[in-house]
Amino acid sequence: MAAKLNRRLMLAGSAGGLLTLPGKAPAQGGRKRLDGVTLNVSCWNYTYPKLLTEYIPEFEAATGAKVNYETPSFPIYNQRMDVELSTGSSAYDVVNVTFIYSGRWVGSGWVTPLEDFINDPTKTPAGWDASDFLSGATAAFKNKKGQLCAIPWIADVFMAGASRYDLIQKEGLTMPNTFAEVETMAKAIHKKGGIPAMVSENHYGWTYIPWLQGMGGNVFKAPPDDLTPTLDSPEAIAAADLFGKLIREYGPDGAVSMTYEQVLAMLKQARVNYSPNNQTFLAQMAQKEAKSAATCGFSMCPAGPAGRFPGVAAHGWGIPTGSKQKDAAWEFITWAMSKELSMRMFTEKKYTAVTRRSIIESPSFKDSQNLNGFDVAKIYLDSIEQAGRGYMAYRTVPVFPQIDREIDTAIQSIITQQKTAAEAMKTAQQNALTEIKRAGVKL
Amino acid sequence: MRRKRHTWTSNIVAAVLLLLLLSPLLWMLQLSFRPADDVIAEQLLFRPTLENYTALWTGTFPQSFINSVITSGVSTVLSLLLGVPAAYTLARFRFRGDRHVALWILATRMAPPIAFTIPFFLAFKFAGLSDTLTGLILIYLTFNLALVIWTMRSFFAGVPRSLEEAAWIDGCGIWGTFLRVVIPLSTPGLAATGILCFILSWNDFFFALILTRTKAMTSPVAIVNFMQYEGWEWGKIAAGGTLVMLPVVIFTLLVRTWLVRGLMAGAVKE
Repeated sequence: MAAKLNRRLMLAGSAGGLLTLPGKAPAQGGRKRLDGVTLNVSCWNYTYPKLLTEYIPEFEAATGAKVNYETPSFPIYNQRMDVELSTGSSAYDVVNVTFIYSGRWVGSGWVTPLEDFINDPTKTPAGWDASDFLSGATAAFKNKKGQLCAIPWIADVFMAGASRYDLIQKEGLTMPNTFAEVETMAKAIHKKGGIPAMVSENHYGWTYIPWLQGMGGNVFKAPPDDLTPTLDSPEAIAAADLFGKLIREYGPDGAVSMTYEQVLAMLKQARVNYSPNNQTFLAQMAQKEAKSAATCGFSMCPAGPAGRFPGVAAHGWGIPTGSKQKDAAWEFITWAMSKELSMRMFTEKKYTAVTRRSIIESPSFKDSQNLNGFDVAKIYLDSIEQAGRGYMAYRTVPVFPQIDREIDTAIQSIITQQKTAAEAMKTAQQNALTEIKRAGVKL
Repeated sequence: MRRKRHTWTSNIVAAVLLLLLLSPLLWMLQLSFRPADDVIAEQLLFRPTLENYTALWTGTFPQSFINSVITSGVSTVLSLLLGVPAAYTLARFRFRGDRHVALWILATRMAPPIAFTIPFFLAFKFAGLSDTLTGLILIYLTFNLALVIWTMRSFFAGVPRSLEEAAWIDGCGIWGTFLRVVIPLSTPGLAATGILCFILSWNDFFFALILTRTKAMTSPVAIVNFMQYEGWEWGKIAAGGTLVMLPVVIFTLLVRTWLVRGLMAGAVKE
C-alpha cells in the first residue's frame, strides 16, 4: 500500500502543483489518490478540532480517503493516547501531540519525525512552507536531533490584560511592563472603581512560572537534561514572595482558589481589573457582550530583572510510529495545516489561535486582532517568538505534572500566609525531589 | 412519654444523618436542573430547567447509555449463568486441586485493574476486540465471575445437604436438584450477587476508557467527555450522573427484599 501511495503521490505532485489547493485536487483516471484508504484521526475536543470537523468532507471528496475522526475530552484523549502510543499501536494514523506530553511522546520516539516528509517534494506541496510555523510553537515538538515531530495547530500564549484600563490611565499609568510596574499599578488602582486590582487563576504551576523565570529562577536546573528541582533557589523564593503578595493584597476575596472560568467571568464583567493570563481567555474581554469590551487593555506578560518569559503552550498534529499509512497521514496533515485552510478557518470561522506567521502578519488578521486599540496580534507574535529561546523545556519533561502540583500547593500556602515563601518553597523542593526520584529520574 | 421523646430524637438524628449521606446526590440532582449560566452560583434558589437533560440527547450520550445497559446486563447474566453452577460444584464436590481452582479464579481480583491494562489492551488489539461491546462484556465477565463464584459458593455451602439428599431420593438428578431445590433456596444470594455484578460493570470507568473509543463507549466515560478544556460542563455532568444512577436505583428497589436477605444471610445462626 505504501509503495502504491508513493507512486500516486508522485504522480499527483507532478500534476501541476494541484495539491497546493487543498480540497481541490482532482480525481485521476476516475480514481482518487487515497481511494480505499481509511485514516483514523484523533484530537482532544477544542475549538480548532471541532471546526475542522466541518472541513473534513472536503478532504474526503478531494482524495477519496475516509476519515474516522474523533474528539474526546482532554483527559480521556491523553489517557487513551498514552496507552496507544506506548504500545506502538497502529490504530491511529494522525494524532494530536499534547503539549504537556510532548517530551514523553517525542522523546520516546513514539511519533514519527516529519523531516523526510517535509523535505520530499513528492509528499509536500510546493509553497506549503514548514518554516512559516512560529519557532516558539514548534519548539516543543523537536526531538534531540532537532527533527520536527508535529505540526502545531495552536499556540496559546501567556500575556496580560486589564478589564478597566481606563482606571489605570486615570492614575497616570499604562499597562505595566515590569514586575515593579505591576506592583506600583496594583497599589494605585486597588479598589478604584470598586474593584480589586489583580487576579490570577489557581493553576499556579502555569501562572507563577513567568514570575519565577523573570526573577532568574527555573523549575529545574537545566531541563530536559538535568531535572534537579530548583524551587528553593533565592530567585524562586523572591518570585513566590512577590507573586503571593500581589494576589493576597490586591486580589478579590477567595482569590487563592479561583479557577480560570471564575477569573474569566470576573474579567468580562469588569469585577476585577488586571490579570496575567492566556491570550485565548483575555481576548474574550473585547467581545461585544462583555462589560469590559470598551475599557479593556492588553500587553505582553510583565518582565522581571532577568527578562520576559511568556508561557507558550502548543499542540500539534503528529503521526504515530505504529501507523501503517504514514504517507496518507502526512497528506491529511499538510491539508489540515495548509495556509489556505488556516486562512479559511480564520476568515470563515474567526479562529485566531493560528500558528503560521504569514497569517498572523496578514492585514486582515492584524485588523481583527486590534482589540480596543491594542495590537494583540503583535503581542501574540512577540510572545510566541520569545518561547523559541527554549525556556518552556521545563514543561514538557515527563515528571512535570507532579512538580506542577507541588508548585500549586506552595503558592496557595504563601497566598493564605500559612507559610512564608521560603518555608513553602523549601517544602516544595523536598517534595519535588521525592517525586522525581520516585519517577526513576537519575539526578 | 419519655420513650416517645427518645423516638423523636432518634428520628431527627437519623434524618440528619440521612440528609448528610445523601447530600452529594441531592447536590448533583439540583445541579442537573440549574441553567448553565447559574451552575456555579452560590444561591440555593434558581430557575429550574431541563436544558441539561435535553442537551444530553443530542450528542453521543444516548448511545453510550445503551452501551452501558447492554454490557452490564449481558455480562451480569453471563456471569450468573457460568458462575453459579461453578460455585455449586466448588461448594459440593470434592476433586483434586479444588481449593487451588477456587484460588486461581480469584486471581483476577488480586491486583488493581491497571495491572491488567497492557495485557488486555494488546490482546484486544490482536483479537480485534477493541471498541466492541463483545470485548467489554468479556472483560466484565472475567472480573464478575470471580465475584459470583466466591459469593455463591458460600451461599450454597449454607444450604442444608439433607434437602438435596431428599431430592435425590425422590428421583432428582444433580441438575434437577440444583435447579429445583438449591437455586430457589439461594434466590436472595443470587439477587445480591447479581446486583453487585451489575453495579461493578455499570460503574466501570477504567477498562471502558482504555478499551473503547467511540462505538462501545459507556456512560461513565461519556460523562467525563463533558470535562472540556475550555471549561467543565457541570450541568451536563450532573444530568448524566443522575441518569446513570437511575437504573441502579430502580434495579436495587426491584430486588431490595431479596437483596437485604442475601446480604444478611449467615449473619445469624439459626
